[in-house]
Formats: sequence, structure tokens, C-alpha cells
Amino acid sequence: MKVVVTCSIFPNKIVVNGKQLLSIPSNEADWKKWVYSSLNIEYPKFHKMDSLAKLAFLGISVLEQEIDFSTYKDEEVGLIFANKSSSYSSDNKHFINYTQKKMVSPSDFVYTLPNILTGEIAIFKKWYGENVFFIHKQFDIEFFIEQVEFLFNKGIKACLCGWIESNDKSEQASLFLIENVDGVLLKEEILKELIINKID
Amino acid sequence: MDTNLKNVYLSYGALVTPLGNTVEENFAALQEGKSGIKKYTNSGFTNENWPLAKIEQISENRFDTLLRASFIELNQKVPRTIINSSNTLVIISTTKANIDVFPNDTFESGIEILKNELGVVNEPIIVSNACISGVVAINLAADYIRSEKFKDVIVIGIDVISDFVVYGFQSLYAISEQAAKPFDKERTGITLGEGVAIVLLSSEKRNSEFSVKYLNGSSSNDANHISGPSRTGEGLVRSIQKTLVRSHINKDQIDFISAHGTGTIYNDEMESIAFDRLTLNSKPINSLKGYFGHTLGAAGVIETIVCLLSMEHNLIFKSLGYSSIGTSKILNLITDTSQTQVNIVLKTASGFGGGNASLILIKD
Amino acid sequence: MSELKEQLKAQIIEQLNLENLTPADIKNDMPLFGEELGLDSIDALEFIVLLEQNYGLKITNPSEGKDIFFSVDSLAAFIEKNKA
Repeated sequence: MKVVVTCSIFPNKIVVNGKQLLSIPSNEADWKKWVYSSLNIEYPKFHKMDSLAKLAFLGISVLEQEIDFSTYKDEEVGLIFANKSSSYSSDNKHFINYTQKKMVSPSDFVYTLPNILTGEIAIFKKWYGENVFFIHKQFDIEFFIEQVEFLFNKGIKACLCGWIESNDKSEQASLFLIENVDGVLLKEEILKELIINKID
Repeated sequence: MDTNLKNVYLSYGALVTPLGNTVEENFAALQEGKSGIKKYTNSGFTNENWPLAKIEQISENRFDTLLRASFIELNQKVPRTIINSSNTLVIISTTKANIDVFPNDTFESGIEILKNELGVVNEPIIVSNACISGVVAINLAADYIRSEKFKDVIVIGIDVISDFVVYGFQSLYAISEQAAKPFDKERTGITLGEGVAIVLLSSEKRNSEFSVKYLNGSSSNDANHISGPSRTGEGLVRSIQKTLVRSHINKDQIDFISAHGTGTIYNDEMESIAFDRLTLNSKPINSLKGYFGHTLGAAGVIETIVCLLSMEHNLIFKSLGYSSIGTSKILNLITDTSQTQVNIVLKTASGFGGGNASLILIKD
Repeated sequence: MSELKEQLKAQIIEQLNLENLTPADIKNDMPLFGEELGLDSIDALEFIVLLEQNYGLKITNPSEGKDIFFSVDSLAAFIEKNKA
């Protein structure tokens, strides 16, 4: 098991493998859109995504600039994602729609499932692999590694793991790719530090 | 790849649906061909009278009440020594959990009830992967048993009816005005339902009279659209193929398929294409959505329990609501509940986010 | 009519989150569900919401929408025709 790359995105910075890649201006009204523009990607669907899916999309886009995903076949990457607040931001939007605005938007409703973000990654990368989404009280690196082991036992080549959160208080996307090759896994504390970088 | 997989046994935990409060009550209702679906006045966003499969005894706090209701049968079917063991894990499969209390943490109350009222020792795990959650949770439970991290895993599939979800599906024009008719020519959409189903996965046989083994399972994404089913059935085809390989089963050995079959035009069409591509057309197949409605995160677990009933009694249930084929590919839908040898079962699920999952069970 | 069409284009961009586009990118006769805009089945349902929210027009069956949502021209014609 080997950690190939880690990446964390916060409203003020992007950190890759523990080093700051980008600092995000604090006066940006829509910081995710700012990151999208600065990455020079052309993917209009981005604008239609909810905040959770946008965070996931930005995460995979940053990782793409770091490593070559084309070495994997379309079924070889498993997606293991988790967060605490599920699809809170979209739930809130849908809830306000029908309680206050007296309307219901189908596209807002569709995003009221957290696993939609893994669908967005799969669509973007044309990946047909295994997907799972968990609701967890907090980021737990051991739990992710357990899940990775399960998939590796079934012959999966790599797992893209992620903790993606979007609620009233915080937004964060922390992704890491683990390959099914020999290698010493970093100590859990170091790994945790690399993945869940604290906001300065 | 591990080819010598450890045994994983399944047994009944609990089943509370509009059709009954126990596995036995549900079994009796299924045999009679009863549906739990009824029309409810003003259940829609603009006061439509949508059909729903609602548990009428529950008046408020639906999620917590329903979860607690399942403990009565669970305590009868699963010994306390297993429920309260440190070698037992609980996995909850749910899409929206206690959405009634939104904007509070909707996933918290279930965990607290399990720990405080049922005395579950280990922190429960929550799988929230749309409509494939139940099958994914059972697959995960088997992974935990095979890794020897736990001796028993209790999988709880649960979701309740809420305005939140009903209005949402209504905005997608996905709700049928009549009870859902999966795979039928006249189908126009889903009927939402609610329920809780509990299945126990164990490293040892927990039921001496009747025993079913879990072989293997998988999931696969369509990589196509976040809410529209794939036009080619690609994800479902791939998931079933992976599950067959991992189970060391030839597709001809399958006796019966428990399909997802929601009753929407596009989902059922997608499933028919997938089964056709795998030349599984002639296998007896059903959807249980005409009995229970679509119970979202509970569906995979409810339907797996019904698979166990089919295996125990060699009885396959008619696909309620179906009368003539309405998909482009012909499937062998079960039109009469009938006796037949059921040794190997394929269970599938598909859902939003492009997810597809499957698993195979075998009679021991 | 042309004012209505310009207004519609802005509303389409807003309702469907087409932030990458400006009203000038949407031509009056351009098929909305053609290659250019990349709209899908959910967007078609969002058009129903748009018509109801902004013009008080109700479409009960999504299949009716097919011709109405064909282009900005057809949308504008539908609104004109059904205006109270």
C-alpha cells in the first residue's frame, strides 16, 4: 500500500503533498469558481454542481495536474468518500425551496445525496469502478485504510479516498490516492497531517 | 485476488414495513400478494394525492420510532450476546436518515439510539450511497467478516417518508399516480415507501434449521449521468460481471434475480438492457417495489430478506403491478407466486449518482 | 418580443447555472437541447420551474415541454400565446 498523492482544498489555500500550491484571495466572493478559473479547466458542468460536487471536482482536477491517471484502466480506481454533514448545503437549499420559496427545483433535489459527488468524479474521469460514501463523525484515517484494504483484496489497483465537507461552518476537500503496490504506508499521524491540513 | 474466501452466513434480523412488523408477517402478506401502497390525500407539494407505502401506526418522529420498532423483533431473532458483543459491528444503510429534524444533524439520532437503547458496543458505520446503499452495506458487512475484524455484522436498512423526499421526486416527475408497476407497459414512475430491515451476517451459522451463505458482491458506476440511468446499462452489467467472477459462479447457475425495478420508464429500461446484455433474460425475475414501494436506503436490505424467504421456502414472489412487458428487452417476470427450487440468487440495485451494486447468495 | 427573448436568455442562464455563457451565446433559433449548450433531462425539468416561477405558466406533463423548450423562439412564442 502506497500513498501516491495527497491534496487538500480550503477556502484560503490548496495544499498538495503537504506543501502549499496556491493561496486563494480572501476577498473572492466565490472562491471555488476562482480556483476553477485558475486551474484552466474547461468543464461547464462545474457551474451546475452543488458545493460538495464542486469541491470534489476541484480536488480531482488538482490531482490530475500532479499525477497521470491514464495509467489506470476505467475500472481500476475505487472511490471511497466520507463526510460528517452529508449533503447539508444542498439539503438546506431544497428545504428552503419548498418551505420558503414555495417551489421545488429538480436539480437542487438531485444533489441532496452525498454520493452524487462520486458520480460526478466517475462521469468526469469515465471511471466505472467501485464507489462508496460514508457518513462519519470525523475524519478517521484508519477507517479509510480499512476500506482500501477491502477493495485491494478484491483486486482493485488504486483507491481515491476523500473527506469532503460543506456546511454552514466549513468547506474542505481532502483527497488522497492509495495504490495497491508494495510500499510502507506513512505513519498514521503524518498521513493525517498531510491529508487534513489545518487552516492557518 | 483471494480465491479461498471465508464463509459468511446470513440470517433474519427484523422487518418492519407497511405489510407487517415481523419477517413472518411480511412473508404472509407477500404470499397473499398484498400491497402496502395506498393513496394519501394532500401528500404532494401542490396537494396531489400520491400513493405511498406508509407505515400508518407511526404518527411522528418517523425515523427514530421506526428504528426502535425494529428492536422488538431483532431482540427475538438475534441473541443479546451477539447484539451487545464487542465482536459485532452495526452498519446502517440510509439515504436521508432522520430528515424530519433537519437542519439538525440528521444522522446523529440513529447512532445514539443504537448505542444507548440497544447497547451496541462499537461505533456504527453509516453507508449513504443513494438507492444502492443496502446492497453496498451488505457487501461491506461481508468484507468485515472475511477480514476477521468482526464475527457478526448487523446491517440495518432504513428510510422514512418525508415531504423533503416526496416533493423532490415530484419535481423530477418521477412519482406514479397509481401504485408503481415495475417493468410494466403502463408504468409511469415510482411509489415512495418506508421501512426498516435488519439482516445479520456472521462468520458462523446462527440458524441451525436454514442457512444461506453470502458469496460475493460489487459495485460499479455508470460514469454517465448523476440522475439519469445509463442507456446501455453499463454500470449494472459491469457490477454483475464482477460479482459473478468474484463468486465463482457461472450465470447459468442463477435460479432467480431480485431486480431493483423502480417503475420509472428509464430505470426499468436500463435494467432490461443490462440483463439482456448478460443473457439473463430467461431467469425468473421480480421487483418488490409494487409491495413495499421504493424504500431507498432500506430497499436493498428489505429485498435481501425477501431473497432469504424465497430460498428458505423455495417460493418466488410475483412481480406485483406487472402484467405485460414494457421494456425493449424481454425479461422473464414472475407473474404468479410459485414454488421452485431457489439455490442461488442474484440481487441487484441501481441509483442516483450512477451507482449500481449486486450480490449473490447461495443456499448452504 | 425581442425584449422577452433577452430576458429569457438571462433567466435560462440563471436557472440552469450556465455561468460559462452570456446571453449573446444563446441564439434565438438555436436548439437548446442540441450540442452547443449540453443541456440534459434535468434541465428540461428546470424549464418547467422557470416558466412557473417567472411567468406563472404551468406545464403538467414534461412531454409537452419538448416543443416548447426547443429554442428561445419557441419559448417566447409559448409565453406570448399563454399570457393572461
